[in-house]
Amino acid sequence: MENQPRTRPSFWRDVRVIRLVLQVVAVAALATALYILWFNLTNNLRRQGIRTDFSFLDQPFGVRIAGSDFRPGSSVRDAFWNGIRNTAALAVVGLPILTVLGVVVGIGRLSRNWLVARAASLYVEGLRNLPPLLLIVFAFQAVILRLPPARSPITPFGWLVVSNLEIHVPGLTLQPGGGQFLATVAAAVLAAAVVWWWRTRRQDRTGQPHHRWLWGLGIVAGTALVAYLLGEDPVTVSRPQLEGRVISGGFSGLGAYFAVLGALVLYTSSHVAEIVRGSIQAVPRGQTEAAEALALSGFQRLRFVVLPQAARIALPPIINQYLNYVKNTSLAIAVGFAEVTLIAFQAIGNGQPAPQVILLLMAAYLTFSLVISALVNVYNRRLRLVTR
Amino acid sequence: MRKPFLLTLAVLAMLLAGCTETADETTTTAAGTGTTGATETTASGGGSATGSLLSEIQSRGSLVCGVNESVPGFGFRGADGTLSGFDIDFCKAVAAAVLGDPEAVEYVPLTAQQRFTALQSAEIDVLIRNTTWTASRDGGEGATFLHTTFYDGQGMMVRTDSGFTTVEDLADTAICVLSGTTTELNLATRFADIPYEPLTFEDNEVLQAAFVAGQCDGWTSDKSQLAGVRSAFPEAEGGPEAVVILDETFSKEPLGPAVRDGDSGWAQVVDWVVNATILAEELGIDSSNVDSFADTEDSSIRRLLGLEIEGDSGPTVFDAGLGLDPAWAANVIRAVGNYGEIFARNVGPDTPLGLARGLNDLWTNGGLMYAPPFR
Amino acid sequence: MATLTAAPVRPPLVAWVRRHLLSGPLNTLLTLVFGAVFVAAGMAVVRFLANSDFTILRVNLALFMVGGFRRDELWRIAVAAWLLSLMGGLVGGLVAAAAAARARQTGVVVTGATGRGRWSVLRRFWPFGLFLVICLSLTETIQPTLVTVLGIGLAVGGYWLARRWPASWRRFLYLALPILGLAAYGVMASSGLGWSRWGGFHLNLFLTGAGLLLAFPFGILLALGRRSSLPVVKGIAVGYIEVIRGVPLITLLLMGVFALGFFLPSNLRPSDVTRVLVAITLFEAAYIAEVVRGGLQAVPSGQTEAAQALGLSPWKITRLIVLPQALRATIPAMVGQFISLFKDTTLVAAVGLGDVLAASSFANSQPAFNAQGLARITLPFVALAFWAGSYTMSREAKRLERRLGVGER
Repeated sequence: MENQPRTRPSFWRDVRVIRLVLQVVAVAALATALYILWFNLTNNLRRQGIRTDFSFLDQPFGVRIAGSDFRPGSSVRDAFWNGIRNTAALAVVGLPILTVLGVVVGIGRLSRNWLVARAASLYVEGLRNLPPLLLIVFAFQAVILRLPPARSPITPFGWLVVSNLEIHVPGLTLQPGGGQFLATVAAAVLAAAVVWWWRTRRQDRTGQPHHRWLWGLGIVAGTALVAYLLGEDPVTVSRPQLEGRVISGGFSGLGAYFAVLGALVLYTSSHVAEIVRGSIQAVPRGQTEAAEALALSGFQRLRFVVLPQAARIALPPIINQYLNYVKNTSLAIAVGFAEVTLIAFQAIGNGQPAPQVILLLMAAYLTFSLVISALVNVYNRRLRLVTR
Repeated sequence: MRKPFLLTLAVLAMLLAGCTETADETTTTAAGTGTTGATETTASGGGSATGSLLSEIQSRGSLVCGVNESVPGFGFRGADGTLSGFDIDFCKAVAAAVLGDPEAVEYVPLTAQQRFTALQSAEIDVLIRNTTWTASRDGGEGATFLHTTFYDGQGMMVRTDSGFTTVEDLADTAICVLSGTTTELNLATRFADIPYEPLTFEDNEVLQAAFVAGQCDGWTSDKSQLAGVRSAFPEAEGGPEAVVILDETFSKEPLGPAVRDGDSGWAQVVDWVVNATILAEELGIDSSNVDSFADTEDSSIRRLLGLEIEGDSGPTVFDAGLGLDPAWAANVIRAVGNYGEIFARNVGPDTPLGLARGLNDLWTNGGLMYAPPFR
Repeated sequence: MATLTAAPVRPPLVAWVRRHLLSGPLNTLLTLVFGAVFVAAGMAVVRFLANSDFTILRVNLALFMVGGFRRDELWRIAVAAWLLSLMGGLVGGLVAAAAAARARQTGVVVTGATGRGRWSVLRRFWPFGLFLVICLSLTETIQPTLVTVLGIGLAVGGYWLARRWPASWRRFLYLALPILGLAAYGVMASSGLGWSRWGGFHLNLFLTGAGLLLAFPFGILLALGRRSSLPVVKGIAVGYIEVIRGVPLITLLLMGVFALGFFLPSNLRPSDVTRVLVAITLFEAAYIAEVVRGGLQAVPSGQTEAAQALGLSPWKITRLIVLPQALRATIPAMVGQFISLFKDTTLVAAVGLGDVLAASSFANSQPAFNAQGLARITLPFVALAFWAGSYTMSREAKRLERRLGVGER
């Protein structure tokens, strides 16, 4: 024992020391880099008499924003919120549409019908190899601007008012007493959710078909119908009306909004379609064959066997596409839709300090991205629990 | 497996070598701008012409000019990739005065948002990009505005068949405007009590397409730009007669070159280049006859062109002390002509823009173009 | 065995149509609808081609291709293009030679490894060829055609050379590639004005290539950092990657163009192209890091363990065992990243650089073409340039994946 040499290595070869030193070095390097940047920033801003804080947020924005009742006297902060709302309007409407479109085209690519498969692959290969910015500019210049001019809109079916400035669609207006109606419907939705849960549990226990869609929709639609008939027109459909130059009623969106929405939905759905196709092909063939052996119909095979398994494979890359979609909405600056990047552009152009404005802009997108991935992660976890 | 790695290393090393190469380039210019930084203090104190940005440009051998590249008549890129226009000619004039060569200009195309950052950060020597002289830009943006080269005003263009005759008629319509400009702010001010929808564009070309397609009923911009657009309004849409520029001018837009604060020597040089073009027109000197004044008796012409003047102590050449070659004004006129020529060539009645001189005529003809005496 | 080798009987046309177009009422309906769509779309394209006046492209072709590059210095672009064609040919030849060698070693013949038919190259690169032919048909002099023909000749020559070069000499070819690339860059940049006046499609290509090359080392470092067992190093890498991937490229470009100057010492004033390149490099590094991480995860942990058992240091394990295997596995994803960056370079138009999309805008504001809605001609032309590049590259990436045997170990 006493003959044995010391086994402890010298301290500079101790792995714990090395790890510690390496990390200290990394932190020091990062801190130095950040300090140099910060030093330059404050120095430069002070030298040029530009303020370094965020007090500019309370200054007036100075100009109006299209498609809103934003006043020039409102603050830069409000303008930013306005921009974020517009970005959200692109995301909330676009994401569901592009998902459905992507799934349909992705399945279409695998169609046994030669023409359908050709059309789907033309769609995918044509769109996903183009720059999204170019698609947006093209959609605006060659599609939206071809619509009738703002001075003479057309009214297709009498329910729409369409010009290249704005597109108006019918909307719902709440009449006095509508609150009661809404509360009733909300209660029905709650009840439907409980029934849904019950039917699902019941199927798990007894194996009888749950028909939860039928039950749920039935409850909501039935309650809504009864409540509507009992109340005195609690909700009316408002049709866009053209009075001189002013169009009132219904919902409206700017032409630029539809250009961005259309171009990005097409572009992103082509990527989603490719993911869907890959995921479906990744489902083992044996699964389909087994389903065939159980005499499931084509639709049933797809709905109950193939798609649920493909969805698990497809989900992570599709989340990525959702995030790309939200980030790509920033390209709306090319056609003048006032989402948050354009607001930032305008703010810089009208004399607000660029570093702070851009930092705020980045923070806004980062929050967007994190919220979307968090939401989908929740869904993802649920999906993994259900499928054993 | 070892070789590809070594290869990667080799590539990286090469790349780094490439980077250092470019870094060297940057540091050369950086060292140059460093001198500017140093002289900023001395120049603002003494105001002497030597040791300013001027000498840096002369040793560098080229002028860096911040310009526009998409406004017809003032600065736009032609099919051959070169820039031309009213503002571009003034860049050439400054280069001709400082370096004797109108082509020794490096043009930096700038967007409306970029221009002051570019000027502040010493990326450009002079900004000649249809920029309006305002108090806050003089003060807050760190720019010094010089002799106005073009007196403009904001106007509104509408379709002739719309029947609009006043700005008030445009209530409840959409109006196209370029973002990041004084135009946008003037519009908000003028329309404070009129309901309207502002369509803000980053790019002149997209804005124009939107107006032609009738997305907006009004297009507001500087009247000179509107005139350019009107003159080139496509025949398919009815030609220039299809649109009309409303009479009202709702802002003053004096457009001129700007330089960085704190270097009065350089500012004076640019200022006097503009003055020289105006003086030349006043004195009847143009690019075709500039070389025929060798025997003229007119001493103001002799002074301006740097010709010898007989004095008590023999012939002398007038030197204004700007730090330029005595023949600088002659070089300017030889290169781009006098103010009237520059105007006529780029925006005058014989060009697509077809602008009349108006406010931009010589003071002797009732305009605002007036240059201090050169003596 | 006999049943397997029996040649499949190709059904006659009628049977094929029955099977693929008219099997059942729904299918027949789909066939009719999509047939009508195809016919309508085809007619629209023909009508567009027949009724359009392409003067705007003819006049502005140089603007679209090289932007404001000095016209008296265009020979530099031609020489650089030749050098790059030669390089492309050499790379193609090297890949083909490597695949052939691999096939000989393993006895596995990967489909498409032996160039089936002399004209397969036409089938593979037709979008590229189509774009070239369209461009050349818009030129007025013979020079561009000669330059192109010589370029193609050099590419073919390079391929031939690299295929037949003895394997032991191949390392010299590897050395030749970066030299050729740098020479091409040098020829273009030495016109006395650096890259500050570059524009047009040329700028898009340059930003793609330079951005990816510059981001590559950063990306590898970030990926290694993300897998590091040191919490601080890992935290920095993860934070950087997630922040950059959470924001759009345009915000970084804005930062580069409007605010980079504020973060640098006041005597360092890079040009716009440099600023944009910095932004693209920072952005791309995060994405390359994720691609490389995917490759690193694909390396079985047994490899590292075996190397540890051999007593290799961590640095040597990474350098000699892990990275070489990981990088090979990332080639297809890297091409995907290349395509995505290629398309993203159009964003520089939004911050005021004169790339090919901006050239479309310039052309449409020239007095002769002002406000005539000619974007419907210029934009499809620009679109074709990007589509030809992206589509060809994505197909080549798939082919490369098969030939290098990525994923099959």
